[in-house]
Amino acid sequence: MQLPFDAAAVRRGMIPAHIYNDAEVFALERERLFSRAWVFVGHVSEIPDPGDYVVRQVLADSFIVARGEDGEVRAMFNMCLHRGMQVCRAEMGNASHFRCPYHGWSYRNDGRLAGLPFHRDAYGGEEGFPRQGRTLLPAPALDTYNGLIFISLDEDAPPLRAYLGDFAFYLDYYTRQSPTGIELSGPQRWRIKANWKIGAENFAGDMYHTPHTHTSVVEIGLFREPKAEKRKDGATYWAGNGGGTTYKLPPGSLEERLSHVGYPDPMIETMKKTWSRGQLDVVGRDGFMVSAASLFPNLSLVHNWPRVEESDDVLPFISIRTWQPIGPDETEVLSWFAVDAGAPEDFKALSYKAYLMCFGSTGMFEQDDVENWVSLTHTAGGSMARRLQLNSRMGLRPDDTPLVPALPPEEFAGPGEARVGYGEYNQRHLLNRWLDHLEREVSA
Amino acid sequence: MTRATESRLGGHASTIERTGDSLPYGDERHLTAHRWLVDEAYLLDAQDYDAWLALVTDDVHYLMPVRVTTARAAGYDVSPGMAHFDENRYSLSRRVARFQTEHAWTEDPPSRLRHHITNVRTFATPDPDHLVADSAVLLYRSRGDVREPALISAGREDLLRRQDGRWLLARRRILVDDAVLRTQNLAIFL
Ligand code: FES
Ligand SMILES: [Fe+2]
Repeated sequence: MQLPFDAAAVRRGMIPAHIYNDAEVFALERERLFSRAWVFVGHVSEIPDPGDYVVRQVLADSFIVARGEDGEVRAMFNMCLHRGMQVCRAEMGNASHFRCPYHGWSYRNDGRLAGLPFHRDAYGGEEGFPRQGRTLLPAPALDTYNGLIFISLDEDAPPLRAYLGDFAFYLDYYTRQSPTGIELSGPQRWRIKANWKIGAENFAGDMYHTPHTHTSVVEIGLFREPKAEKRKDGATYWAGNGGGTTYKLPPGSLEERLSHVGYPDPMIETMKKTWSRGQLDVVGRDGFMVSAASLFPNLSLVHNWPRVEESDDVLPFISIRTWQPIGPDETEVLSWFAVDAGAPEDFKALSYKAYLMCFGSTGMFEQDDVENWVSLTHTAGGSMARRLQLNSRMGLRPDDTPLVPALPPEEFAGPGEARVGYGEYNQRHLLNRWLDHLEREVSA
Repeated sequence: MTRATESRLGGHASTIERTGDSLPYGDERHLTAHRWLVDEAYLLDAQDYDAWLALVTDDVHYLMPVRVTTARAAGYDVSPGMAHFDENRYSLSRRVARFQTEHAWTEDPPSRLRHHITNVRTFATPDPDHLVADSAVLLYRSRGDVREPALISAGREDLLRRQDGRWLLARRRILVDDAVLRTQNLAIFL
């Protein structure tokens, strides 16, 4: 099947503008991308106790993500086996059973069918209709990494760890600062009239927008660094199925650099014991600190360190979010605050404050980002956008050779390919993976 | 649900609560609170945030929890440990300062805002210098020429404090009526 856009152009970094608002493209994404990729739905810390559940979506499909009495985390399609009513209509809670509101079939929190009203009269009892072996439809595949729960609608999906590839190295900075790992709060949820790919691309590698889009947060002194231009000293990396951005830290030891971004000593000591040599070297030896990142297709992360009080001190925060596609021109953002579960309580509180000030529904960074993305999406829906190929070639010469070489292992201890300065390498990586999926037909 | 479990950052806030029934509409104190809320709405519509910030106390706590859909029996309907706003004077002042720069793109061109305030009732507190006011707010927010406008409906509980003869906002809790906000951001105040 011919794709409804110029695929060769995408490979060259020239992006047909209408892919950011096109019903036909969106249908293909549903059929060929979200039907196969690993999609983040939550974290085990959101459902710590047996019976705890949250309800999350993969595109239009609703799943109950619950911890059973056996402690196991499962994801069950939220549709009654009988006539299809939504079994659970709350978005979070604790329950031993879910009772369907339509005719009253009930399911244990591990999905097993427990009871049917008038089982004997209506079905001939256990003989006529055995409950044994009947469960809410499980998600075709579920896997976790550092407590992050992912679902794939493809039962033949590769193991999550293989899918992450070397991106796991970087994911650890956000989700494994101690062996205990993170705890999540939230999410804040809101809908934006923007295509889901724009946010994913932005977080993956758009260091170039920071000095301009986010001038105002620098002007009000939210950051210690007086100039947003500092971004160009950072590096972007792509590894496995994800990539991200970093800031260059001032000279110093590992400890000095971690404390520069506001981590207290006990947390630094724990990180030293938790991270690999390579993970420590990216920070301590090479001086790069992770900032925004995206895992294909629609999970993004951010780490930054603003001032949260009238003082020179800064404090780091972590946010995890998904760009959940609603339609070609609409996305639901689910944005969580994440913090190391073992961090001191006062650190957790101030880190939460840092998050609220910077990202999420009220975040001062996020506000200006979304304004851009809404406007872009709106314009991409018109007919002129079908004649325009957007330039996503930053960092490439006309003959496709890179403008700056990849950092050698002596200067960047992390896996994958990293480059200092502005570039759209990661956005191209992301859209190339997107195209890989769209070009692969779903076998009947 | 108690206030302490709704906010992670409100430890500094005044804990004064309402007493008794709502005040009669003719009561001087009710008229004072009502007038204050209406005057404030005009400042917020005009995005006159300097003037607005002058109306909040140094120990202000400005809280907007995240609402969640839960079973009736769950006993809570706000997200544990997560809010949209959980602000003190410093963070409010940064937000205001940002709007005052020339680079707060999300509000340039500005939204057209109308805060509709209704259902106001006022309560006395044990201290004559404090009043509690409940109100409903419906914010109409229109951006650009033909974009769908955004509506935000919320209930608010305010603690007003008389300080040097002026009434100031010491505490606001905004109970928004949506679990999923249908507006691109909260670059506004409620
Ligand atoms: S649809 Fe669920 S019991 Fe009938
Ligand atoms: Fe941004």
